[in-house]
Amino acid sequence: MRPLDEKETAAVFEKLFKFTGPNLKHIVERPAVEGPDDPPGRYCFRLHKNRVYYASESLVRRSTNVSRARLAGIGTCIGKFTHHGSFRLTVQALDLLAAHARHKVWLKPTAEMSFLYGNSVLKSGLGRITDNVKSGDGVVVFSMTDVPLGFGVAARSTQDCRKAHADAIVVNHQADAGEYLRNEAEL
Amino acid sequence: MGKKKKVILPPELPQEVADDEVEVSDEDVDFVRENLKYAKFLTKLDTNSINRHVTRVADHKEDELEALYEKRNRKAALLKSKEEDERYVDPVDALPIKTLDGELQYRTAKGSKSGDITNENKSASWIKDSEKDTGVVKLTKAERRLKMKKSRKEAKKLAEEETKVDPAEEKLHSEVLAKVEEDLSAEELFAKKKIRLAEVGMALIENPESNIKSLKELLQICDDDDHNIVKLGLMSLLAVFKDIIPGYRIRLPTEKELEMTVSKAVQQTRSYESTLLHSYKAYLQKLITLDKQPTFHHVAVRCMCSLLDAVPHFNFRESLLANVVKNISSSDDVVRKLCCEAITSLFINEGKHGGQATLEAVRLIAAHVKFHDCQLHPDSIDVFLSLTFDEDLGKSESKEEKVKHKKKRRWQNQEGSNQVQGSDRKKARQELMVKTREEVNADFKAVSFVPGSEERRRMQSETLSAVFEMYFRILKHSMDPSVSRSKVNAVAASGASGSHPLLASCLNGLGKFSHLIDLDFMGDLMGCLKKLAGYSDHFDGSSSESCLSVSERFQCCLVAFRVMRNNLDALNVDLQDFFVQLYNLLLEYRPDRDRGEVLAEALKTMLWEGKQHDVQRAAAFIKRLATFSLSFGSAEAMAALVTIKHLLQKNSKCRNLLENDAGGGSFSGLVVKYQPEAADPNLSGALASVLWELSLLAKHYNPSISSTATSISSMASMDPAQNQVYLSTTSPLQAFKDLSIERELFKPTGKPVSLNRKRMRGKDFVIISPDEVQKVENTIDEEEVKCRLEEHFMVLRDIAENERLRGELNHTLSSIKLYKEYKRQKKQRDTSNT
Repeated sequence: MRPLDEKETAAVFEKLFKFTGPNLKHIVERPAVEGPDDPPGRYCFRLHKNRVYYASESLVRRSTNVSRARLAGIGTCIGKFTHHGSFRLTVQALDLLAAHARHKVWLKPTAEMSFLYGNSVLKSGLGRITDNVKSGDGVVVFSMTDVPLGFGVAARSTQDCRKAHADAIVVNHQADAGEYLRNEAEL
Repeated sequence: MGKKKKVILPPELPQEVADDEVEVSDEDVDFVRENLKYAKFLTKLDTNSINRHVTRVADHKEDELEALYEKRNRKAALLKSKEEDERYVDPVDALPIKTLDGELQYRTAKGSKSGDITNENKSASWIKDSEKDTGVVKLTKAERRLKMKKSRKEAKKLAEEETKVDPAEEKLHSEVLAKVEEDLSAEELFAKKKIRLAEVGMALIENPESNIKSLKELLQICDDDDHNIVKLGLMSLLAVFKDIIPGYRIRLPTEKELEMTVSKAVQQTRSYESTLLHSYKAYLQKLITLDKQPTFHHVAVRCMCSLLDAVPHFNFRESLLANVVKNISSSDDVVRKLCCEAITSLFINEGKHGGQATLEAVRLIAAHVKFHDCQLHPDSIDVFLSLTFDEDLGKSESKEEKVKHKKKRRWQNQEGSNQVQGSDRKKARQELMVKTREEVNADFKAVSFVPGSEERRRMQSETLSAVFEMYFRILKHSMDPSVSRSKVNAVAASGASGSHPLLASCLNGLGKFSHLIDLDFMGDLMGCLKKLAGYSDHFDGSSSESCLSVSERFQCCLVAFRVMRNNLDALNVDLQDFFVQLYNLLLEYRPDRDRGEVLAEALKTMLWEGKQHDVQRAAAFIKRLATFSLSFGSAEAMAALVTIKHLLQKNSKCRNLLENDAGGGSFSGLVVKYQPEAADPNLSGALASVLWELSLLAKHYNPSISSTATSISSMASMDPAQNQVYLSTTSPLQAFKDLSIERELFKPTGKPVSLNRKRMRGKDFVIISPDEVQKVENTIDEEEVKCRLEEHFMVLRDIAENERLRGELNHTLSSIKLYKEYKRQKKQRDTSNT
């Protein structure tokens, strides 16, 4: 387990920034809830076995007691580096993203299931969308009852959505909560 | 009687009655002596006028003469009656008058009197405003009346004769006039001109066709040196034009048409119309030139405005409009109001001019705004609020047309089948018929005043685009920081309206016409509004300090929501940034500085009417509104509470806020502790807090607020499963209005209530009347206080000393006693031992 080097940090933050925008600051500077420190420590990113973890400083300190080979993971896994060195967010980052997301999409109840099976969001399934989404922005997908379901990349802007056909793709799928079942082994 | 009568009724003195036959009463003689001035005036006038009258009367035919006499008699009676009412009662005058034809005239000529009076009233109403400041005539009433009578008669005669003037008389006439003018003083001249105006005006209105030429005379009067006369002339011309301008636009005949021989009637109409048009043009030019002179500014503007209001269809509307629009943002309140009203009525009564003028006016105003770089009075934009756009226009029409076409085709088909059998001649005739019908239709369309729906639709869309272009210009302008900063200094001195005086009314207009905005503009519009509302991305670094007031920023949010709501039935867009803005603006609200209605309306449109909200966001708003309602007036608090209630009813999860333990459970998200100062409602962690504010609000002095707060806190016991059991019906805006009215009503009663409270409290404590307290405070100075305190402490010290000594004494006494006891016992022991 080691801190991210500069290149890796840039890659991770770039990805997170797509989803959270200026709220990225809040993710980094968030005071930790666990640990004995009185001014609560911060959360930090750690790389372990090609996976990036988001964990509080006190937890990181305590985890040093475990040998690297035996450490399965600490904190929350938010993504992994592929063999090519690019960073990819995984579904475990959903909670973090949902809390700080800038662009959101709410799905109609009929479209939830389709999205949870790994399909993209169509215009017909769109219940609500935040203003000012541009194509290429990271979007967090919610159900109408505000349960985060997954996230993806906007395929078209809010403006275009208005005129779009009912079958047009609005959000390209990246990760959804269904992966916990489908890809249980990999996660 | 005789002499006086001579003066007033010159025609009555004629031939038969010799001078010595007239009986002159003593009072009359006295009167004449007293008022020699009158007599002088009379002698000067007499010869001329009498000569003229005699000659003129002779010219008339018999029956005309009779009519003339009768008229004069009536006038005399009228005069007499008036005189007697007001001045002095001459015993001779009080008697009935015996006229030449032996008729006895009593003072009963009411009918003619009222007729005359209306004349006067009319002129008086035109005069009114100008007369107030200048028209204070110093003559006595009676005197003035005499003169007025005189000159009016002359004027009347002039008017009557004008149609058939023969040169000889004209000469005489002018001579007489010249002489009279020399004699009359300035006031007389003024009165005379006034009356002349009235006469000519009346004649014109009575019979415009024959008297149309006298328009020129009226125009000449307007060239007078006397300002009041000019004003009066303008006003009377206005009245005349308003009356005689026809309901159509005059088109002057072309040269070709002039060459053609036409009937007499047509010729007459043509000359009438051309005269009217020319004098109207001259009048307008005069108005426009006079508009630039400060003395006539008001009158000219008033004339132009009422002309625009009354005859927007007539020729030269463009110049009229241009001038009215030029004055629309005048710094003079009266002028501005007049212009705004004129334009508003232009917009409302589109039927008068078929919409063309609306388009012109809108374009002119837009150009005006552009020219003045958006630094105008907001009134000039507020007129747009009275614009109406008919959305259904054209839709139904086109449908009908389609149906018609179908029918026609069918009909034509049938016809075609018939025609096969019909002969060629029949065919030709039918063709001819169709052709003529088409021609007639085209002519009718050209002639008919109401433009077709197609045309109206086109005009409407052009108007709309002009309006929006102007609105967007204003928005863009107020966004431009460089402009605003440079202007701030200039405007700061001028007033509190800020550097963007037009923005508020522009936002109002956008809100009103939001349903008509094209989707393509939407993105830009939203961007503008967002910037104006003060939203800045944190990573931009450049914190755009917006110079708009809080109300204006509220309004920006409001307009954005309206625009979205009205346009997007299909797609539900969540305006997160505007929510963030509203959340932060709530903190900046100050009850006295900002407008509460705007806040209440923003709450209504954004929170109360909004369909769905995030749990986090709703909770954050609930918490902030509750805090907010603690610190502001009852009306704002009520609006906030109603919103809270509504939000809680809609979001059952938010009712966690009403639970007694902080923490919020699983809903609280990543932020575990409530951060009251967070800028983003999503990150405030409000779900982890408890709405303690409600228990405070339940003790609010205003009973309605306390009851609402109690009812909200009782919502915790509601079954979380049953959502939206009952929805409150009052909107925040409604609640705000109700309570602000109540507050107004509450003010006078507030005092006795507080007094009662004081008294109640007074019972618990020692009652000290405030007067006594004051007395004590006033009389005691420091020295005295010092003395008193010294004394006091001396006594205290003495007492302490005393106590100590006593204690010592007691102690000694007791020890002495003990010693004595010991001695006695010792003695006893000794005695027993021995």
